[in-house]
Amino acid sequence: MKRVSIDPITRLEGHGKITLFLDDEGNVENAYLQIPELRGFEKFVEGLPIEEVSRIVSRICGVCPAAHHMASGKAVDAVYNVKPPASAVKLRELYYMAHFIHSHAAHFYALAAPDFVVGPDAPPEKRNILGLIEKVGLEIGSEVIRQRAISQEIQIIVGGRSTHPVWNVPGGVSKFLSKEDREKIKPMADDQVKFGEFGLKLFEDVVLKNRDYLDIVVGDGYELVTNYMGLVDENNRVNFYDGKVRVVDTEGRELFKYSETEYLEYIAEHVEPYSYLKYPYLKQYGWDGFKEGPGTSIYQVAPLARLNAADGMATPKAQAEYEKMFETLGGKPVHKLLAHHWARLIEVLYSAERLVELVNDDEILDPNVRVLPSTTPKEGISIIEAPRGTLTHHYWTDENGIITKANLVVGTTNNNAPISMAVKKAAQKFINKEGGIGQGLLNMVEMAFRLFDPCLSCATHSLPGQMPLAVEVKSSDGETLHKLSR
Amino acid sequence: MKTLVLGLGNTLICDDGVGVYTARACTGRFDGLADVREAELGGVDLIEMLQGYERAIIVDAIQLEGEIPGTVFRIRPDDMQITPRLASVHDIDLVTALELGRRLGFSMPGDVVVYAVQGEDMVTIHEGCRAAVEAVIEPLAREIEGLVKGETKERISIPLAGRKRNA
Repeated sequence: MKRVSIDPITRLEGHGKITLFLDDEGNVENAYLQIPELRGFEKFVEGLPIEEVSRIVSRICGVCPAAHHMASGKAVDAVYNVKPPASAVKLRELYYMAHFIHSHAAHFYALAAPDFVVGPDAPPEKRNILGLIEKVGLEIGSEVIRQRAISQEIQIIVGGRSTHPVWNVPGGVSKFLSKEDREKIKPMADDQVKFGEFGLKLFEDVVLKNRDYLDIVVGDGYELVTNYMGLVDENNRVNFYDGKVRVVDTEGRELFKYSETEYLEYIAEHVEPYSYLKYPYLKQYGWDGFKEGPGTSIYQVAPLARLNAADGMATPKAQAEYEKMFETLGGKPVHKLLAHHWARLIEVLYSAERLVELVNDDEILDPNVRVLPSTTPKEGISIIEAPRGTLTHHYWTDENGIITKANLVVGTTNNNAPISMAVKKAAQKFINKEGGIGQGLLNMVEMAFRLFDPCLSCATHSLPGQMPLAVEVKSSDGETLHKLSR
Repeated sequence: MKTLVLGLGNTLICDDGVGVYTARACTGRFDGLADVREAELGGVDLIEMLQGYERAIIVDAIQLEGEIPGTVFRIRPDDMQITPRLASVHDIDLVTALELGRRLGFSMPGDVVVYAVQGEDMVTIHEGCRAAVEAVIEPLAREIEGLVKGETKERISIPLAGRKRNA
């Protein structure tokens, strides 16, 4: 048997490795995603005062600090059994919408779009944001930078700072929104809506109108039939900040809906000896291996999963785009994995529209933004949607509010099994004896990984850069037959 | 030359924070010749941080296979296969960020050097570095001080370009 390893070769050499096992025929027999866990974050917060934790978890890494800050803020409220005022909840959501735009935009324009715009088999040095602006014009690059700066600015105005916020406090937030600041945000929010529309227009022009690229999206190389999970509001529409977790099956039928305090009744975790990262699955089905199709216990999270799990979007323009996506791709649920990118862009538009709604809601000006906790702290759980999927924070404290235990289930962990399965399927589709192994084919495999927007910093530890790959083809006796890197 | 000394890293992840600690050790050494900043960022955000400077001296952690913890590599963008905070799965790397900034008309530093410190432990949540890495913070700060002031001081860094791979 031959072995192909796809290794990130920079920051953490030897970590976060994709290993493809070839059979004697030279075809892919199996694929494993091996990742080491970032040790001890849950341990680290033990012994800390609970009111400190929201400030600490946001620093797990710099990629989605706001998501951890929000999840933690909500969980700390629960620990104190306190309900923040409506103004604080709306301000938190406003801040969070800006974060979503900022995060999703980086992923789509810097990492995903080059595959489509420049082409999946273009040389690696062209297949990046530089190749993107070369092909579609400098103004797109400038617009992305400008719009990301706007979403950062909104976060600064609302929460005091963009990265690593310290603004959530038990029972609410530490700063209310002034009328002047609200007026500053209004035009920015309108601008972000245009940015949301711009992204979907680009996707239509470049991907949907290009038969070759559309074929890649709807082809069977990137398809995985699983259950889907996402947070929904009371009308079963996508919500990032609050609601219940809804899970639908491979046919799109609701399996169950649960609130944060019930998560352990529905989700369990499987362990494999080759990876430190656990594989969550639906408890009711039991662990049945990495199997897709009806009855599987595997579920996906993140943009496509959220849209599949919901009945629609809560804002009009995003709803229209939602309908268009499902109509184009043959109805719900969509199992075509590259549609995660499309869904991500719809979520940018939703976030921007929601920004506009919130900033025009007079309640956000209420200076009463905090309810002081008055009960003895004990235990609290929260669930929100991070850009990369459903995120759970669970804390236990003693009667003095000192953390005795913590459990964090992050988006990428939820997607651990689907990512491994998607990589294997893409590898089996694109790598075979006849075709050999080339850069373009490897990128096709990498695309299966990338579409999940995996962030291993908090699930595990960060992988490097644009995921430069080193690929070794080894014979069964360990001899290196072929080596590729970029 | 308008210079920025930028320490990158996460001070909660053991040796990952060495860039930030080094930047802190650099504070007050430059007699106004350089600004010192620390950040837990990378990618596109670096464009904003670096713009307007003619020279950037960046300190970060690195983890190369088979290297001795505390080894300081000196890297120029040309020989950079990407280091630490300068990249994440979710964003672009430093070289791309510099080039993107230039093409979009930002004033990006023409002179960029990265000091990448080989970490021993970049997976454990822990404040502060392991001893071998901690030991290089002060001498590295002195080297950077010499570089900024144009004085010849003892170098502890070695060029990455000449690195022999032990792996």
